[in-house]
Amino acid sequence: MPREAEISINEREFIKQALQEQIRLDGRAFDVFRSLELTFGEEYGVADVQLGKTRVIARISVDVVTPAPERKFDGIFQIVTEFSPMASPAFEIGRPTDAEVILSRILEKAIRRSNALDTESLCIIAGQKCFALRADVHIIDHDGGLIDASCIAVIAALQHFRRPDVQVEGEKAIILSVREREPIPLSILHQPLCVTFSYFEEGEIYLVDANVAEEQVRQGQVIITMNKHGEICQIAKYGGATVNPLALLNCTNIALEKVKQMSKFIQQKLDEDNKKRNPKGLMNELSAENARENAVIPG
Amino acid sequence: MVAPEVTLTQLNRADGSAAYTHNGYSIIGAVNGPIEVQRRDEQPEEATLEVNVRPSAGVGTPRERHLETLLHNTLRSIILTRLIPRTLVQITLQVRSLPEEDTSTGVNTSLTLLPHLLHTAFLSLLSASIPLCTTLTSVLVAYPSSTTKSSTPLLSPTANELLRAKPIRSTHVFAFSGDRRLLLNESDGKFSYEEWETACEMAEEVCCKEEDQGGVSLGDSMVVDGAVQSQNLEKWLREVVRRKVEYEQRWKSAT
Amino acid sequence: MASALTVVLPGDVVAQDALPTGTGKKKTLTLGPGLRHIPPNTVTTTVAGTLVTDNRKNAALVEYNSGRYTPFAGDLVIATVNGSAAENFNCLLTPETPPAALPHLAFEGATKKTRPQLPPNSLVYCRVASAGKDQPPELTCVDPSTGKGEGLGPLKGGMLFKISLGMARRLLAPKSELALLDVVGAKVGFEITVGRNGLVHVDGGNVRTTLAVGRGIQEVDQKALGESGQRKLAADVLKSL
Repeated sequence: MPREAEISINEREFIKQALQEQIRLDGRAFDVFRSLELTFGEEYGVADVQLGKTRVIARISVDVVTPAPERKFDGIFQIVTEFSPMASPAFEIGRPTDAEVILSRILEKAIRRSNALDTESLCIIAGQKCFALRADVHIIDHDGGLIDASCIAVIAALQHFRRPDVQVEGEKAIILSVREREPIPLSILHQPLCVTFSYFEEGEIYLVDANVAEEQVRQGQVIITMNKHGEICQIAKYGGATVNPLALLNCTNIALEKVKQMSKFIQQKLDEDNKKRNPKGLMNELSAENARENAVIPG
Repeated sequence: MVAPEVTLTQLNRADGSAAYTHNGYSIIGAVNGPIEVQRRDEQPEEATLEVNVRPSAGVGTPRERHLETLLHNTLRSIILTRLIPRTLVQITLQVRSLPEEDTSTGVNTSLTLLPHLLHTAFLSLLSASIPLCTTLTSVLVAYPSSTTKSSTPLLSPTANELLRAKPIRSTHVFAFSGDRRLLLNESDGKFSYEEWETACEMAEEVCCKEEDQGGVSLGDSMVVDGAVQSQNLEKWLREVVRRKVEYEQRWKSAT
Repeated sequence: MASALTVVLPGDVVAQDALPTGTGKKKTLTLGPGLRHIPPNTVTTTVAGTLVTDNRKNAALVEYNSGRYTPFAGDLVIATVNGSAAENFNCLLTPETPPAALPHLAFEGATKKTRPQLPPNSLVYCRVASAGKDQPPELTCVDPSTGKGEGLGPLKGGMLFKISLGMARRLLAPKSELALLDVVGAKVGFEITVGRNGLVHVDGGNVRTTLAVGRGIQEVDQKALGESGQRKLAADVLKSL
């Protein structure tokens, strides 16, 4: 498979020169994200995130399995990221690139190990049955900032997802279908989001939300994950640039501000979607029957 | 039958792409090519074709591999592979969502998905301007069990229609080229030869344009206004291409 | 350009009366990209686009503006040097395609002793000398008849911007007139180099000018701006400088 094409010398020099003059190629300030868009699908648990020209779709699915013997009271939650040639011909299925490994590791640390999802709530009968939740992250279009975009997509999709309700009678559990009972949202403890800082000029300059060209020129990156309460979930640093501890502290302040903005944005989109689904709140229950009748007239 | 909704060339990175939605099936297709091929896959006289079908949830299973084989063979026959030898044409189809009832209809789910995959792949190839020898249209025909009230075949049924007509005795997928050649047929279930023939004729009628209309159909397909409720997939395809061309040429009329 | 567009799909047979009649000097019909001749006398299309015919040149082609660049002999392109082999530079016209060969001696005034040194990932403006499906494309930086560079050669400084293939064709057309460039060019000096492979190299001497011109061209391309739109954009560009 062909390697990812490298950026030309002219572009590399120009980007560096421009950064020294405090200019970014797309005219953004150093600490500004590209325009963020978030849409939800027809089903529960599908989030489509567009960050500039980057596009990521996250999808949550659920299954019932036997829990791991050492964790009887926990459900299972896994995040799967696999790059496909859709985003770039340099991505090959079954042969992960470094970027892919870093992405899955960061998401693992940021979301799963920070206990964003209460896995105990996924338990149905201890040691016998539990829900296995799976988040598939599909990279559709790649123009940098994959980690930030994927994290937003997964967190938004988790908040949007509804799992089927269960009825437990002693040793027997019945999964109630969507038609029988309204599915219930997941129990989410906090919403971690990632902000990636790209370092240039030996750590003198750092950018928020770099695009592909800037990512190719950067010397290193620092990924900070935190929630809107300012709790840092993880910090990862890749690449050779030396980073001043004070600058890092400054980064966490910027990250907090960005995370707050993004959390607000996600919540606003969730509310909009919810309003669309239940225009009249509880009254919807009564009118649902009629709506279904209308929908089946063959076209 | 409602015409599928398509947006061409939506992705920035891929050479060609199509976002396709029809009857609750939503698929994003991307094509890269002609690009460099790995030495072991290189063919001296032809282009190599790579098809990846990715399910919306989970990893690819034998079902996806089977669909990939079907797509590979069908698309191979319409791509002019000899015009771009020793290159690779890479097609990636990402299933975005399926209708809610898809798994409960009791019919082979790879057959219900197949026509949509074929359309998405073809439109992505169009968007990438890969040389093709003809067009491709495809449709699903299903026979409900004769014990139920209606045994007339269902043409391009929605998942909901299939669910209501349950049990389904046989399902057939047909794909036709622009010159009315049958490119692909996959059938599943119990059926008589006569039934198959009826189904095939029905499919051909929907897929292909009316006969004795040779040559470039100048203008006549362009009269159709924006909202097409076309019964005919060939007409729908022309409309999609007309929109693509208009979008590309809009600078000529811009002020 | 005819006002009504003839939209074609792959596999459409082009009727005899839709092709140029050959009243001009050239007797043989030339088929451009997107058309295929099936002997004895059938012409079919291979891509989706609009059929364009030129009676004077006795040529027909399908115009489309999507997909990857395919090299044709005579095209001016901006190539990226990928490496240097025995006697050639291996260059990329688009990412992930097989490399095109640019001989070390295909530069103005180059001899075996004074061959140009081009490090990997430098940019060269060159012409496609030969291309076809059966051999990798070959590039050159000299005009074979005069031995002169004619403006071709390594590109120094500046910045590269991606544009659509249609926009590149538009900029390279003989009577190309882009109001944006005229208006901005009257006030500030800059140099642009257009490659048929969807790239434009802009050098305005400083970062601001280069960026403003490059992004201006991209905006004209993306928003399909016409005359008045471009003038408005040009005014904005000048204001920002």
